[in-house]
Amino acid sequence: MQLDFATRELTIKLVYYGPALSGKTTNLQALHEAAVGDSKGRLMTLDTKDDRTLFFDLLPLNFKDVSGLSVRLKVFTVPGQVIHSATRRLVVQGADGVAFIADSRESETDTNAEAFVDLRDNLKAQGIALENMPLVIQFNKRDMPGARSESEIASDAAGGREPVYLAVATKGQGVVECFIGLLHLTWQSIEKQHGLGKKFGFDGEGFIENVAEKLGRHEALDRILACRVGQARLGGKS
Amino acid sequence: MNDSPRSLNDIAISQKFELEDLLDRPALVEMVHSFEVLFGIPLRVYSATGALLADTGAVPSLYKYLETTRGGRIAVQSVIVEVRRSKPNDAVSSQVRCISGGQYLTTAIVYEGHTLGRTIFGPFLSPEVQAPPAELFDLDPALERAELEAHWAGLSRLSEEYCKRIDHHLRSTLDLLVFSGLKAHLASSMHLASVRESFRELGDKNKKLQQAYDRLKELDRLKSNFLATVSHELRTPLTSIIGYSEMLLEGIAGEVVGEQREFLQTIHEKGEQLLGLIKSLLDLSKLESGTMSVRREELASEKVIEDVVATLTPTARKKGVVLSSSVEVDLPGLFADGERLRQVLLNLTENGIKFTAQGGVVSVSARVVSLSSDKGGSGGVLLGAARRLAVEFRVSDTGIGIDEEERERVFDAFYQVDSSSTREAGGTGLGLSIVKRLVDSHDGTVRVEGNEPQGTVFVVTIPIKRATS
Repeated sequence: MQLDFATRELTIKLVYYGPALSGKTTNLQALHEAAVGDSKGRLMTLDTKDDRTLFFDLLPLNFKDVSGLSVRLKVFTVPGQVIHSATRRLVVQGADGVAFIADSRESETDTNAEAFVDLRDNLKAQGIALENMPLVIQFNKRDMPGARSESEIASDAAGGREPVYLAVATKGQGVVECFIGLLHLTWQSIEKQHGLGKKFGFDGEGFIENVAEKLGRHEALDRILACRVGQARLGGKS
Repeated sequence: MNDSPRSLNDIAISQKFELEDLLDRPALVEMVHSFEVLFGIPLRVYSATGALLADTGAVPSLYKYLETTRGGRIAVQSVIVEVRRSKPNDAVSSQVRCISGGQYLTTAIVYEGHTLGRTIFGPFLSPEVQAPPAELFDLDPALERAELEAHWAGLSRLSEEYCKRIDHHLRSTLDLLVFSGLKAHLASSMHLASVRESFRELGDKNKKLQQAYDRLKELDRLKSNFLATVSHELRTPLTSIIGYSEMLLEGIAGEVVGEQREFLQTIHEKGEQLLGLIKSLLDLSKLESGTMSVRREELASEKVIEDVVATLTPTARKKGVVLSSSVEVDLPGLFADGERLRQVLLNLTENGIKFTAQGGVVSVSARVVSLSSDKGGSGGVLLGAARRLAVEFRVSDTGIGIDEEERERVFDAFYQVDSSSTREAGGTGLGLSIVKRLVDSHDGTVRVEGNEPQGTVFVVTIPIKRATS
């Protein structure tokens, strides 16, 4: 997070992490498509000829709060391929929140687990414990044959702390909900550390609702946040 | 990469970058030029700090004419100052009027809410303006009215609607340029950072490997020391065992009869065998620690072979194996340690006999070979390198043979191709590793070949060195 008091600008870095070909870039593309008006910037992709992410993708989203604070959201993806470990470590540096995009297919369970361990190690290398990082998990590719059942994921989700979302990123399903969930969690963590609500009169919840609106979800924040799996265990105001 | 001047976070999060970093100057000048050709109106690009980044240097003829007089020059200067002072809003371009009755359009270059610079486009006239303003004629008495009118009529005209479209086009073109520039900038910064990160990672790993290697080397040295000490200490009591059993056998302590003699002989024999093993261990540890000295002398290869064959003929005969030798005539002498060379051939020949079944043949031969031709290249000869001669000893048997993939490993200490066969054949597994080290100490080579149709050939090559070399 970066806060410029002079220009009243807040920059938040969100990172989409996950194994290769789990749909991180597709998530960003879906978000980019969903965003309306002048809030969305150009989606920057640094990829190879065969559309594999080489360094990262970057989607900038800019919003202005009623309090006059301008909020810039920088949404990154990491390259999923195992060999790009150094790049992943660089991209995840300074992240305020992480969305872990997992592949729903049963066959990808090990790959998901490996990428998750990789995330934990890369955060640890920066002295950040995974528990202290705002984190949401998305099970993508729900429409693929061989996907794990929803009840199975729900029972797993009930055992973990992180909010879990289901998505079909290629169709844009579940992408915005997951993003709003991540933003909400990240916001809570930033607010707890910096107390921006008091300092700037910044209304976090209202702001997130506004972001959701700009992403095409004209609903109360509670209802969007309720889209997660295994929500019963989650405390906190929402 | 916190030590790099422009980290990913610096560029992508804080947007600490200047227009100068993102745009290629010559390309920008080209774009400005094509803009000017398309609309007939000059365009300039300034950075946020006010530095002029691109300009074609084109000046309307009216200004050129005005600048020929003092009053005109002052008027033109004040227009330039005013235009450069104008601060366009991020979203709306601002218009600055000039003495000709025309105007300039200044547009901010904004990327994601950050002002990176601005463009100045003009001067141009609105199509509604029919005549030059009166003050144009009062700038300097030296200015001719007719000429002023002619130059004024040469100014480009743009409708407000068209002007807006140009403005939009200019903004989107620059936006795209900045985006592409930023993308390239990020990619290259990221590339650099990734390479550095990988380099750091590899460096760490190398360091760890080096430490592990050093530790292993130290352990290996300790092992050799241990081996040397233990073998030495084992030898002392063994000498007594052998000595006393020998004395008993000789009847010094009274007559030995029947089974007593048989048992004593076994004790003596096994004691000698054990001593042989301990000697090999000691040899190996000496060779490993590099403390074994090689005493070179002029030496006839055929003598060594003769000696080896004479020593082992009884063993071969006992096993029913034919032991033969052949030596090339006029074999040159070697400059080597006779005792060690004998040990090498003895070891190999003994091995051959050990692994050859009854009725088989073990033969030892020696001939001269040229080392450069051995390597398969004539480069050394072409380059004038002296052709090196060597004596090649071949010890071949018709025994069980060694698989191709095992051939390199047989020289490792304690390695045995097949432990079950060894139990039958005996041995410590040290013989070949001692052979290898002894040959190495003579700068020679030893390798294993297959013997057709069955068996193994050990080939030892010792370079011929003169006493003077």
